[in-house]
Amino acid sequence: MSGSLQNLSELDRVIHEPARLTLVALLSSVESADFLFLLKESGLTKGNLSVHLSRLEEVGYLQVEKTFRGKIPHTEYSLTPKGKTAFQEYRKKLDPILRHSRANKP
Amino acid sequence: MDVQIDAALKRTRGYWFVDGFIEMAAGGLFIILAGILFIRGHASQPTFTYWFLSVTGEIVIAKVIGILAAILILWRLKDHFTYPRTGFVRGKRIAATQVLVLIGNIILFLLLPILALLAASLLIASAGNVLASMPVWFPIGAGSIWSVLCVLAGEWMGLRRFRLLAVMILLTGIAIGIWQFAIGLPTFPVNMLDSVNRTLTSLSFLILISGAILMISGLVTFLRYRKENPTPYMEAS
Repeated sequence: MSGSLQNLSELDRVIHEPARLTLVALLSSVESADFLFLLKESGLTKGNLSVHLSRLEEVGYLQVEKTFRGKIPHTEYSLTPKGKTAFQEYRKKLDPILRHSRANKP
Repeated sequence: MDVQIDAALKRTRGYWFVDGFIEMAAGGLFIILAGILFIRGHASQPTFTYWFLSVTGEIVIAKVIGILAAILILWRLKDHFTYPRTGFVRGKRIAATQVLVLIGNIILFLLLPILALLAASLLIASAGNVLASMPVWFPIGAGSIWSVLCVLAGEWMGLRRFRLLAVMILLTGIAIGIWQFAIGLPTFPVNMLDSVNRTLTSLSFLILISGAILMISGLVTFLRYRKENPTPYMEAS
């Protein structure tokens, strides 16, 4: 198995799932975002989004903070340091795979 | 896939500009600054030192008050209009040292081309010529620098409309330079205050037109945003 293909099997499966990858990518460039923002930007249904957010929280990539904006309850999601590292690692591993596939394009 | 990740990153970075409010606020601030410069360019000024101190003071006060007011207005507008429609995003916290480095880089980025242009001009022409042609090269130089900043910001945030803004600002700077050249430059011996007045006038036109461009861009963005998100998001029952 070539080096880049080995990398493929080492990719973090939690992040590799397309919907979760979108969520982690969205959250990686901000301090935090609320449910509505993630819902609108990811294009997921509410149920799906909740499931994926729960999965990310389960593995410790995501933290949830419940606050109030005025009198309205407000939930913000942010990546934990573990989540940030996992995303960086994922991108590092993905990069050679993409380069390899581009180089071997028929 | 990497392209999609980059697109998601850029979309989040550009979220502050999604509703057009920031462009409208910046445009408004530009128009106020242009007004101050224009009035100063046409007021009688006893000495260069007096002019420099008064205009710098007024611009600093207008900028500080304007930026504070804009932040307060934007905060309320986004809180009542944008966040209920497309959600809330908290930007990354920047450390004080990062802010200092950023400010330093911006100052360098703005100053270096001006100094280089000035040095190059002095090599090929006398100080008098450079001073006399200030109303021409100043708007062209400022327009070029702003357009480069606009392109860089647009690429970082994935906002294509910033490319168009950059082209329009650059063309405005060039057009004002040509206009100042066409109406004739200050004659020798160059009176510094005359040259400064003319430069202020040309600069105020550049800032005014750039402000109007930003306002229009912000308004178009706002109308499109409102059309796409007519009402606050409601929970589906």
